Amino acid sequence: MLDVNAARKDFPILKREMAGGRPLVYLDNSATTQKPQQVIDAMSSYYRTSNSNVHRSAHTLAEEATIGFEESREKIRNWFGAGESRVVFTSGTTEAINLVAQSWAKVNLNEGDVVVLTEMEHHADIVPWQMLTSEIGVELRWVPFDLETFELDMGAYEVAVQGASLVGAVHTSNVLGVRNPVEQMVELAHQAGAKVLIDAAQAAPHDRIGFDSLGADFLALSAHKMGGPTGIGVLLINEVAFQQMQPFMGGGDMIREVHFDYSTYQENEHRFEAGTPRIAEAIGWGAAIDWLAKWNVESIHEHGLELARFTADSLRSIPGMRVFGRQADGDGAVVSFLHDTMHANDLAVMLDAQGFAVRTGHHCAQPLLRRFDIAATNRASFWLYNTLEEASAFVEATRDICQRYS
Amino acid sequence: MNTGVGSGPGDWPEALAAIIEDFTEAFDAKERYEMLFELAEQVDELPLEEWTAKTKVHGCQSEAHIMVGLNENGGFHLRGAADSRIVQGLIAITASALEGLSVTQVRAFSPKFVEEMGLSSALSPNRANGFLNMFKKVKEEATLLEGQDG
Repeated sequence: MLDVNAARKDFPILKREMAGGRPLVYLDNSATTQKPQQVIDAMSSYYRTSNSNVHRSAHTLAEEATIGFEESREKIRNWFGAGESRVVFTSGTTEAINLVAQSWAKVNLNEGDVVVLTEMEHHADIVPWQMLTSEIGVELRWVPFDLETFELDMGAYEVAVQGASLVGAVHTSNVLGVRNPVEQMVELAHQAGAKVLIDAAQAAPHDRIGFDSLGADFLALSAHKMGGPTGIGVLLINEVAFQQMQPFMGGGDMIREVHFDYSTYQENEHRFEAGTPRIAEAIGWGAAIDWLAKWNVESIHEHGLELARFTADSLRSIPGMRVFGRQADGDGAVVSFLHDTMHANDLAVMLDAQGFAVRTGHHCAQPLLRRFDIAATNRASFWLYNTLEEASAFVEATRDICQRYS
Repeated sequence: MNTGVGSGPGDWPEALAAIIEDFTEAFDAKERYEMLFELAEQVDELPLEEWTAKTKVHGCQSEAHIMVGLNENGGFHLRGAADSRIVQGLIAITASALEGLSVTQVRAFSPKFVEEMGLSSALSPNRANGFLNMFKKVKEEATLLEGQDG
């Protein structure tokens, strides 16, 4: 059992009072999670005691900064089971996907080569590939999902990957919460000779991802959705794919030697990390992983799913309410919903006035919402510090607003 | 000095001054939004059939439409509607504020009344309620009205 009350104590922001002295009920965890005191302290301590640049000078502070930074890389490598693979720091999931597009796809793909995407993708896994359609002429193939069961059409997937060079697939949908059968998707793609990039941004806070055992070629995720700071993420890369990549950003730290007429590059991960990296953020992320390690991730997953199921079922009992998602085993702790006559923005503003933070809008997945013929939803998403009381109060506030104002 | 016929902070038209007072006396944000929901019902509603590309307010998270005209006394009159009740409430307040004014007065009117009503948090760029876009469109269309007049 997850000790939710013990976990809550580590998050100072949860003590914040909102308008009218109401408690904060934070249900926007899929956008970003709150940060435990341990992460805040680690970053603050780094700036107070060790701030310096990494991989450069011979002084004590530089040594401490470098050790802290590289230790975090190892924590991330271990946490995500990437012992045999490469861990390249990026600014987040979006930059990690763009790194695959710029440093792998642009180097290895040609006009007419096929990139397969699912209709559940976040804009971050759509737009970089659309850019390559005009830059190098790659062709995009879309894998649909069922509007009733919210499941990816695996028959269509199996056909789409034939002759494809790359598959880009979201592990867990940020809108529907659906966890895709990524293991099967990797296997089918590899049988067809395609590489696979997994967007694991939403899976990172709920799932123990084993990158090497999953066997994907690339996996992108962000620190800030798992208790870590904003502004940092990683691209995990298997060794074969790593050797096929060329840096697209040049600058300090990524080079071995620079001459007036040519340069040589580092051979390790630094090759793709030009410029001063996000040192405090990496150290904060390491602290988030140390903190998460105190809890049982399977319990975090079960707890979030229990809240999501309760919320989805309760919302369905509100007349005129539509819920998008299935909350099946393995799915994320996400509930997207939309009322027939209550505008999503109005509902969110009214909820906010009572201390409830939920997301409203297209969730950076406009093509997915268009499949349902809608432009926006509200979304409640949970993490380990949310309680059943919060979920219940949120549902009742929503029911009350919809009854009185729609 | 409050003349009751002005167009800016400290000197709002009487109908608007009364609305501002109601809002400032509201208990909290929740009550202010409830008042907006009620006001939304009072606007001279532009029916769905009259929503066109020309009436649409751009840069608004909701679908909002406005049409300007003159009332029987030749004063300014605003009609509007939105799928969001909060946005339609803001249109209703704007309509009351501007009702019967001359085009020159409309063009000089300050949008700062929403701040005085304690609603500015609903109007941050993040919320994208598009109030300022709506207000700008009202003024632009009012200018065209003047063209028709003269």
